[in-house]
This record gives sequence, C-alpha cells and structure tokens, in this order.
Amino acid sequence: MGAGYSLTMKLTRRNFLAWAGLSAVGAVACEGFGIREGEFSLQSPPELPEDLVRGKDNWYTSLCRTCPSCEGIIVRVMEGRAKKVQGNPLYPTNLGKQSARCEATLQAAYHPDRITGPMRRTGPRGSGQYEPIDWNTALDSLRSRIQTAAGRVAVVTGPMRGHMGMLVPRFAEAVGGSHLAFEAVDNVTYRTALKNVFRQDLMPDFDLARAEVVISFGADFLSTWGSPTRYSVGFGEFRNSEGKKRGTLYHVDSRFSMTAANADRWIPVKPGWEGYLAMSLAYVILRDNLQGPGVDVASLTGGRGADALIGFRPESISAILPSADELGEDPAHLIEELAHTLAEAKPGLVIGGGSAGAHSNGLFNLEAIYALNYLIGSVGVPGGVRFNPASPLEDIPASAEEASLAQWEQAISDIRNDETNLLLVHGVDPVHGLPGSLGFGDALNSGSLNIISFSPFFDDTTIMADLVLPDRASLEDWGSDIPEPGPGHQIIGFQQPVINPLSELDPRSFPDILLSIASDLGVQDNLPWNNYKDLLKESGEQLFALNRGSVTAGSAGEFWNRLLAQGGWWDENSTGPTDVPPPDGLLSNLASKNSGPQFAGEGAFTLIPFSHNTLLEGRNAHLPWLQAAPDPLTTIAWQSWVEMNDHDARVLGVVEGDLVRIESDEGSIQVPVYLTPAVPPRILSIPMGHGRSGGPETATGRPATESQNVMDVLSPRHVDGTGSFAWASTRVRVSRTPSSIKVSKFEGNVRAVEVGILPGERIIQTISPDEL
Amino acid sequence: MNAKIVTLGLVGLLGLAVVGFVLAVLIISWFSNPPFGLGNAPPQPVAFPHTVHAGTPAEGGMGIQCEFCHRNVTRGAEATVPAVEQCLFCHKQVTGRTETARMEIAKFADNPDGTQLINWERVHRLPDHVRFIHEAHVRFFTQGDTPDRQLEVAQVCSKCHGDVASMTEVQPMKGQSLKMGTCLDCHRENNVATDCTVCHK
Repeated sequence: MGAGYSLTMKLTRRNFLAWAGLSAVGAVACEGFGIREGEFSLQSPPELPEDLVRGKDNWYTSLCRTCPSCEGIIVRVMEGRAKKVQGNPLYPTNLGKQSARCEATLQAAYHPDRITGPMRRTGPRGSGQYEPIDWNTALDSLRSRIQTAAGRVAVVTGPMRGHMGMLVPRFAEAVGGSHLAFEAVDNVTYRTALKNVFRQDLMPDFDLARAEVVISFGADFLSTWGSPTRYSVGFGEFRNSEGKKRGTLYHVDSRFSMTAANADRWIPVKPGWEGYLAMSLAYVILRDNLQGPGVDVASLTGGRGADALIGFRPESISAILPSADELGEDPAHLIEELAHTLAEAKPGLVIGGGSAGAHSNGLFNLEAIYALNYLIGSVGVPGGVRFNPASPLEDIPASAEEASLAQWEQAISDIRNDETNLLLVHGVDPVHGLPGSLGFGDALNSGSLNIISFSPFFDDTTIMADLVLPDRASLEDWGSDIPEPGPGHQIIGFQQPVINPLSELDPRSFPDILLSIASDLGVQDNLPWNNYKDLLKESGEQLFALNRGSVTAGSAGEFWNRLLAQGGWWDENSTGPTDVPPPDGLLSNLASKNSGPQFAGEGAFTLIPFSHNTLLEGRNAHLPWLQAAPDPLTTIAWQSWVEMNDHDARVLGVVEGDLVRIESDEGSIQVPVYLTPAVPPRILSIPMGHGRSGGPETATGRPATESQNVMDVLSPRHVDGTGSFAWASTRVRVSRTPSSIKVSKFEGNVRAVEVGILPGERIIQTISPDEL
Repeated sequence: MNAKIVTLGLVGLLGLAVVGFVLAVLIISWFSNPPFGLGNAPPQPVAFPHTVHAGTPAEGGMGIQCEFCHRNVTRGAEATVPAVEQCLFCHKQVTGRTETARMEIAKFADNPDGTQLINWERVHRLPDHVRFIHEAHVRFFTQGDTPDRQLEVAQVCSKCHGDVASMTEVQPMKGQSLKMGTCLDCHRENNVATDCTVCHK
C-alpha cells in the first residue's frame, strides 16, 4: 500500500459533481417510482353517471341531420362524449352505411363557434354585435314580438317531415302566420312530375339492386340527389350481386358528375334537352314494339302508337347530342341502341332529377323521363319504381313540401309591404341560398321587420337577426323522421339525445320553445304537449297500439325503449301501391306539350351549378371535415372553382388557377378555373355551398377569390308550370382577370409520370427474359 | 498504486449506490402498495358505516346489496363508488337518527346547487401494472357449475375485501395483503391460469 492511501475521500470538484449527479438521478428515480397523490383518492361525482363507465363505450341510435335524406345512425358515446357516428345497420334506408356528411355531425355538436346562449342584437342589423341575455328575457321578447306582429308572422324552416312536419305548421297557424319551407335546390318540379305521371304524393324508391339497366337523367344519385347513401348501397348490389348479371348504368347529363363518372357511359346531352332524349327513346321503343309485357300502348299514346311521338325521331333530334365526331358514333344510332338496351333489360329503370328538372322546361323533362318507366313495364315491379305508403301515424306527414321560388318572391314582397312583420327562422339560410338578385337580404333591412333565429350557429341569415335563441345540436335533441324517399314500406325513425350540451353552452330545443310559447299565448289547442318528447312518446304509444312492425313489446314502456334502441319503427309488410295505372294518353299528351329550354341572359356559356358533395348548398360549410373532404372528381377542398372545358380555356387564354369573371345579367363572381376535358364545350359548372358571409370562420374565413356564392349570378327564372327555381337556365359571360391563385387540390400533387426514367428512380424496371 | 486503490474505491462506491438504489426501489414499491400502514385505513371525509347500509337486518343493517351502490362491479373493470345523487335517493328523506349521523349526512346532502362531491380515501389499491377486472371475478364465482362457484355477489366480494358489511370503517382484510401472492394462491386454488399476462399489463 502506498503511503498516500486514505479511506477519506478528498472532495475534489470531480467527486463533488459525480455525487451530485448520482444523488439527482436517485432522487428523480425514487420520485418516479412513487405513487401519485391522486391515486389514493376515489371520487363520488355529484350526479349519477347512468352509463358512465370509464373505458367502456355505449352505442346509441339516432338520426343524422346533415343532409335532407336523414339517415339512421348509431353514435359511439364514451364518458358522456360522442366519439363516432356510423350508419344504423337496422335502419332500412341506409342499412348500416353512412355518408361523410353524417360523420361530421360530431363537429356540429362540438364546434367551437356554437352560439353559447340567447343573444340580443345591439349594433346595426348585419353587424354581428350581440349581447347575451337570459332565457326568460329572450322568451319574453319572443312572446311580445309574436303578439305585436298580430298574425304577420312567417315561420321559415327547412323541409319538415315527421313530427316537426306537423308541429311547425300548427304553430304557424296558431299564431295566425304562415310556414315557409326553404330548400335551395327544391324538389317542387320533381314532386309535380311524380304527381302528374304516377299520381303519387310521396317520392318513390328505386330498386337499383335488382335492375339490369339504369338510365339516369341529370340525377347525381351517388353524390347528393335524393337518398345517396341508400342509392349507393343499391348501386353496389346493382354492380356486383351474387347470381345477378352486372348492371349497366347510363348517365345523361350536361355535367360530368360523380354518377356520370361511375356510369358505363356518360351521354353529354345539351342542357335542357333531356326530355327530348327520353321521348326519342320512347319513340324507338314504340316503333320497334319493344314495350314491356302487358303495357297498354294504346292507352299511353291515345291510340296513335309511335306516330304520337313522330316528332322525336332520333334522326330529327340528334342535334341535342354532341356531333358524330365528338361522340365517336352517329348520335341517332346511339339513341336507337340505348332504347333497345333499355327495353330489352329485365328490368330497366329510368331516373330523372337534378339539372334535368332545373330548366325552364324541367317539368316536361321529368315527366317524359319518368313516363318511360311505364313504357318498359318498370312501375311497381322488382327492379323498377316502387311507391311508398302513407305515414303510419295520422297527422304526421311523410313528405316535406318546400316553397317554390314563386312563393319566395311573394314572401319577399310581403316583407317589403309589412304584411310580414316577424320572421322566425330555424335551420335554414335563405339569405345565402336564394338567388342574390331576388334581394331577400335587402328585404330583411325593411324598417319594422323583426327577425328571430333559432340557429345554433351564425350564418348569413342569423347575422341579420334581432334575437338569437340557439337550438340544440341534433345529437342533443329529440326528433323523428319519415324518410323521403322511403324504402318502399312504412317507416318512422326516432332521434334521441345521445349527449348533453357542453357545460358552457345553454341551448334550448326549438320544438320545446314553440310548445311553451303556444301555451303561454293561450293558443295550445292543437299543441297540447308539455314538451316535444311527450309528443314523440305519445306517437310511440300509437305505434305500440298498431301491434305490427319491427318492434315487439309487452307494454308501451317496453315498446318505447325498444323503439329507441332500434332507432325507429318500420313494417316491411306495409308497402306502397303496386298497381298504379298511367294516366290516359300520358305519352301523347307529353308530345303535344313538348318544349325546349329557355335561358336567361345572352352569354356564350351555360352555367350548370351543382350541389357540393359535402357542403351541399351551403348548410354544412361551417363543418371543417366537410370543407376538407376533397370533391370526388376534382379533388378540390376548401374553395370554390369553375369547371371549364380545356379547349374553351385555351381560347380564353386561361390556365388552372386563373381567376375568371363569371358575369350574368344578375351579377358577377370571380372564381379560379379548373380545367377538365370532361366538361362539354360552352358549359361551366360551379359548386354551390361556398361564399358565405356570416358565421364560423370555417365557412367565411377565406378571401373572396377562394369562396364565392354561385347564387349571386343565377337568374331567378321559374320552371314553367311549377314556379320552382330553374337553377340551370342561366347564360353567362366569361372573361379573364389578371389574377391567379393556387387551386387547393390533391390531384397532381404527386407527379404523375412513369417511374424509372430518371437514374434515381429505378424502382421497378421492365426487362426482357434475355436480360434476366 | 494510489490510483488503483482510488479506482477500486470508486467502483465499490458505485456498486454500493446501485445496490442501494435497487433496495430503495424495492422498499418503495412494497410499502407504497396495500396494505400500506399495516391495516390502518386512512380517515374518510364522510364516516360511512357499511354496517348500517350493507349489514343484515338482523344486525340492524339495511341489507343493501354490494352491487346496488358499487354499480359497475358486475359490469366492468372497476367496482366504482356511487355518485352523490345515488346517496340522495335515500338521504333526501333519511337524515339520520343520531347527531353524528345527521352531521355526516349533511356533509353531502346539504347540496343546493347539486355540485357536491366526495373525495374518498382509497383503501384497496392494486399497482398500475396489474389488470384486475371485477366483473370477470364476480362472474367466475357466481355463474359456475359447482356450488362453490354459485355464490352471492357479496360472498365473492368478501373473498378479497373481507366481511365489509360488518365493518364500521372499511379496513383491508386481515392477513391478506392483496399482493401477487394473494392473487396466485387464489388462482391456483381455483385452477385458473397463472401466466404473467393474465394479470400483468
């Protein structure tokens, strides 16, 4: 041992640091192995968490309210919060499938920009300046305004089916006012055509699954028209069902829509001439005796046979289709071939809607299209048109009639003349959704008009309101629906609240407010219920008393629980009528009242707007998921665009992203160009839904160059004979602007070139066997 | 030479530190889990007598079943303690026979704005790395084919928690640590798997 050895350690800087480090590591480690203080406590919460089990999910049925078809949904709820929305597998219309729109229902409930409670306007109308008030003050104010209006009240809502379809008109009547149902893309012409051709008040179901050939005229049924989720399920079976021939779809439309993209053949007819093409198909079927078995041709044609439709010979109307060069075949030959394919199918099915019914001659178009179903024997048969039965409950409507454009013009006139003094607006945004040139927004500034909105969000109409009484989100409220189109048998869906509003929100159910106000005003004779849930429960008892259908139970209470667990009641044995004869002389009468389309304006381009795949006509523009969901065809998200034929673009000298001015006699907008060869020449298409000026930033937060409302340029033209909005009948002028923006789209962001050309990209190489 | 000794010394010290560290971890792990405090449960914010609630009527109790209050014990992983709202099902009317009872009940029943809650002190606790599902254990002992597996829920509870119905203050079961040995003994006795992953996360 050396003399210098010692057991004591000298405190050098190095030793000090080593010990300090070791101590620190030890302290951290020991702390880490300790148990957090909260682990030793166990909390009894104030309220009984009925279904609150940590880590365990519950699924509740309800109804989706983000699109008009109103699908049955199931909602995954964990610890009192809704987490996921899926299709209700039992619900007959959507059979467990759901659209992207349904899934975004969650965002409508948890949106950060929801109106937190009742508010009163403090600044000028439209300024967005409001102060919060309590519910008692708000309801007092509502009551006194209704009394002051003395019957000059208009209740403006979306199309109402189910119990709201009974309650809202009754309330309007009770206060001496009127009810106006608003839908930007209304179904008034479609309903009139159904009434004239089939003598039915309810929209029919289309049995796509069992059809062999389908011709669709303008109806984008795989995206937004009718009941897209139901049709998509049917379309899947139509294409690929065991033991069945693959179905063939033809889509006739002047726009290349999502349904056109899925069709075996897209036939780009000139805008407004769809009815002529349908009549020409009917002519060929009659001429060649291809009508369905048992079809009374004499009755349909007034005894004249094919001669009744002689004016629609393929060769004489072939100009409504592109030229032989563009089509790759003689257009008359195409019509002949199409007629034969349709008539020989077992069965064929013809559907019409969308832009086909939105021209000045839309009623003729749709009548001609649907009349074809009679000729080929596809009415009331499997694989054809199936009619829906009446509502299972007396007084509860299965159909939601909308106000036509003509009725809206009258309503605006009433506002200006002070014949309407109070507007009660719920769930719709007519300032954004009506053609700008009607001046609905300006009319709202009329001197003494009072506006009360029940919207849970600000929008272009709510921002004009004097009083805002926020409604509950659909996941927080009761409701019901009789889907239209229905599935061919009786059904009524029930919506139950699956979550409570967040604690910082204080919304109140719109129907509950109507019932309490009616009671306060002493006009509750036709509205005797304490609240909306009582009304629904009463209907549950009536359904129980029917003693049939999908819900079986020993008592009314048990029935109610099972009804809610299932998401509704339906009876597959209560189907609609099957033997519905056509009106006499259906085809010959149609031939005599044929009409071509009339367009408003002198521009060189026809503007065919369309419902946005997720935003629809704007009602969903505040939901971020639906803004971010790319359009299925262009892949564009978050902004508006105009689809333009690439040849037209070359002539104009514009490239993708260039802003062009779209100008009609009514106004102008500037939108970026999206080039595609799939748009027929001289046609422009712009999605609806953008260009909102009031509401959450998701809907309004982008510069004008990226978000424009196509309604600002549409001419308020009527469909002849219905007063409906002919939204596809505006001609526009197009001109370049010096500006250009980047189009926000997914397409083209990954280089679409052959991989392996550049030295660094030799991922897969094609070589001959000799080189192996 | 000196340098060698210093190095050895340092290595020794390091070894000592590691051993000390491991010992510290073991001691903390052992004592931080039940029965911490060797049988003395911590005082509770409300003196809840299980004897009155769960005790048999013959002994002056109400005979309320365990699962009436511990609502989740037959349904999920955690037995859960009842919400104050559930206590008030009875205690809106039942305000207590003695002054002590009245004072204790008033602690949560005096709740005009409905926001009162109770932060109980936990008596039974398993470490974080253990997965214990109450529902599976209750089901095992109540829905079996043999008499020893067709017990009442209360009898199953008492296997681990002791006869809580006779306790004025809940205490861990005497002679049972609720440590791994307790679990293994019972699993072996009932011929249930003892693989690590059966219980350990």
